[in-house]
Amino acid sequence: MTIASGTVREAAIAAPPPRSAAPPARPRKRRQLTRNRWGYAYVAPFFLVFAAFSLYPFMYTAWVSLHETSLSNINGGTWVGLENYRDLLQSEFFWNATRNTFTIGILATVPQLCMALGLAHLLNYKLRGRTFFRTVMLMPYATSIAAATLVFSQLFGRDYGLINTMLEAVGLQAIDWEAGTVSSQVAIAVIVTWRWTGYNALIYLAAMQSIPGELYEAAEIDGASKWKQFLHVTIPSLRPTILFTIVVSTIGAVQLFGEPLLFAGNGTTSGGSSGQYQTLGLLMYQQGWSNFHIGQAATTAWAMFMIILVIVGVNAVIGRLRARADR
Amino acid sequence: MATVSFQQASRIYPKSERPAVDSLDLEIADGEFLVLVGPSGCGKSTSLRMLAGLEEVDTGSIVIGDRDVTDSPPKERDIAMVFQNYALYPHMTVEENMGFALKLAGLSKDERATRVREAAKILDLEPYLSRRPKALSGGQRQRVAMGRAIVRNPQVFLMDEPLSNLDAKLRVQTRTQIAALQRRLGTTTVYVTHDQVEAMTMGDRVAVLKDGVLQQCDTPGVLYDRPANVFVAGFIGSPAMNLVTGDAVDGGVQVGSGMLPVPRDHLTRAAASNGKVTVGFRPETVRLVGPGEGLPVRVNVVEQLGSDAFLYTSLADAPDDVLHSADLVVRTEPRTPVAAGQQLWLGADRGALHVFDAQTQQRVD
Repeated sequence: MTIASGTVREAAIAAPPPRSAAPPARPRKRRQLTRNRWGYAYVAPFFLVFAAFSLYPFMYTAWVSLHETSLSNINGGTWVGLENYRDLLQSEFFWNATRNTFTIGILATVPQLCMALGLAHLLNYKLRGRTFFRTVMLMPYATSIAAATLVFSQLFGRDYGLINTMLEAVGLQAIDWEAGTVSSQVAIAVIVTWRWTGYNALIYLAAMQSIPGELYEAAEIDGASKWKQFLHVTIPSLRPTILFTIVVSTIGAVQLFGEPLLFAGNGTTSGGSSGQYQTLGLLMYQQGWSNFHIGQAATTAWAMFMIILVIVGVNAVIGRLRARADR
Repeated sequence: MATVSFQQASRIYPKSERPAVDSLDLEIADGEFLVLVGPSGCGKSTSLRMLAGLEEVDTGSIVIGDRDVTDSPPKERDIAMVFQNYALYPHMTVEENMGFALKLAGLSKDERATRVREAAKILDLEPYLSRRPKALSGGQRQRVAMGRAIVRNPQVFLMDEPLSNLDAKLRVQTRTQIAALQRRLGTTTVYVTHDQVEAMTMGDRVAVLKDGVLQQCDTPGVLYDRPANVFVAGFIGSPAMNLVTGDAVDGGVQVGSGMLPVPRDHLTRAAASNGKVTVGFRPETVRLVGPGEGLPVRVNVVEQLGSDAFLYTSLADAPDDVLHSADLVVRTEPRTPVAAGQQLWLGADRGALHVFDAQTQQRVD
C-alpha cells in the first residue's frame, strides 16, 4: 500500500501537467486514503468493535427476523420471508405494547424534561452549596435500575406502601397501583422520571452556563421579569439542547425494559396480569425468552428500531426547519 | 429627558478592601452628553452599571430626574443601555430585538412596528429588519444595539464602550454618528470609554476616574488646558503631556542638570509640601532653545507624520534604555533637520506650563 502510493505520488509529480482539465479521479481518492491512513488507523478500533458488537448483531437480527425459529436453534430456522412482520402487525399484543410504550414514554419524558429545565434554572443561581446539589441531582442516575425499581414498587405497594399510607392519611382512597392501567403506567413513569431528571438537568445547566450574562442584563433593562427572561432568553438559547434531550429520552423510552420488568417485584415479562404495562422491550423478551420464538422477537426488535428511526427523523426535520427559519 | 445625579455613591465588592467606586459625586444636566473615562479598573463601568441598576449602590444615592432610583430595579428607571458586545438576542430578528422592550411594555403591534421603523430609518437599518444578528456585520449590530435603545425613547442612554468592537475606521465614523444622533434626540447620555480621544471628541463634559475616585469633571477644553492633577494631565492628550519632577530652586525647577524656569508664586506653592515640584508641558508648547538653556535631552526616535513631526527624547542624564526612550515628546515643524542621537535643549512657553505639587499631585495655579 505504502509503496504503491509512493509511486503514484512520484508519478504525479514527475508527470508533466495534464493538458486536459479532467483530473484522474481514482488515484486522487486512493492518495487521500493513504495520506489519512493514521487517522483511519486511530478510529479503526471503535469501528471494529462497532462492527462486531453492533453492526453484525443488527444485521443478524434482521436475518433471524425473516425465519421461523426458536432460541435453541437459531441457525436452523425455516425461511418465512416477511411473515413475522405481518403477524406482528396483526398481533394485539404488539399494539398493546406499542400503546403502553408511548403512554409511559410521554408520562415520563414530558414531566422529566420540564422538571429538569426548572431544576437547572434554579441551580444556575448562585446558591450556597451548589456543587452539593449538583452531585445529589446525579445520584438517581448512578443508582441501579433494579434497586430503584424494587424500592419504588414497595412505595407503590397496595397494602403497606408508603404512598397509599399517605393518601389514606389525607383522607383519599388507597390505589392498587400495579393492577390499574393508568396507575401502573404513572407509577413506572415516576420511576423513570426520578432516575433521569437530574441527568437532563445537568445537561441543561451546562448549556445555560454558556448563555452570556449580558443577554440577561439587556433583558432586565428592557423590562423583562425573571420569568420573561427565562421564556425569552433561556429557552430560545437552549433550543438545540432541548431537542437533543428529547431525542435521547425518546430513545430511552422506546427501549424501556428494566422498570416494567421489575415493577411487580418478580420479574415477569407479561407486564401485569393483563399486560397493562407491557412495553415493547418486555414483549420482545417474552416472545424470545419466555415463548422461545426468537424470530418473532427479532421482528419486534426491528420494529422498535424503526419506531426510533421515525421519531428521530421527525425531530431532525423539525430542527432543520427551525434552523432554516432562524436564518 | 432628565438630569442624573450621583450623590456620594459607592460600590464596595464583597471581599475587596478598596471600593470599586468611591463616593462619586456627579451632576449631569438634562440633555447632556457626559463621558466617563479612565484606565481599566477605574470604576467607570461600575458607575454606569450602578446607574443602570445592574450593580448595587452600597452607600450614597442615585437620582434620575427628581426620583431617587437607588433601590429601583432597572426596568423602573426608564433607561436604555448599549452594551459593549451589543447583547442582541440571537434568536430574534432585528425588528424583534428593537421592539422587545416595547412588547414587554404592552404596546400594540402596530405602534411597535411604527416606532421600530422610525428608529430603523434614522439608523439606516430598514433593509435589515427581518435579519437575525448573526447575519449582520459588526457595524450593523452596533446600530441595532443603538436602535434598541432609541426606540424606547428613554430618559437616559447608557453606553458601555459601544465602539470598542469596531475596527479603527468604523469607530471614528460611528463616533461622530453617535454624537450627532445624541444632539438630535437631546437625550441625556452617559457614555463609558477607556479611549481619551473618544472622550474628548464626543463629550459635552468628561469625567476622569482613577481607582474609583473622580479626578476631574469638566469640558474637554478645560481638561486639556487646566488638568486638576498629574493623573489627568498625563491621561488626557495624545501624545501625553511631558511631566518632569525636580527640586524647586531659585527661579525654576532643577531637573537633572537642566533647569526649567517657573513663575515664582507657582513655585512656592508647589514646593510647599516637600520641596519637589512636578512640571508639565504639552509636546506642542515645547521650544528648542540654545545650548546650555532649559533641559538637555537626547533624541531617541524621530516620527515624521507629514503635517508635523514628533521627537521622542529622554533627559540627557537619564539612563539610555527603552524605558526612558520617550520621556519627553516634542512636536515640531515637519522635516525638521533633527536626527536620532542628537542632543537638544528644550524650553517651554511660560504660560503653557502646568505646575503641580509633587507630593499631593494637585495643580497649584
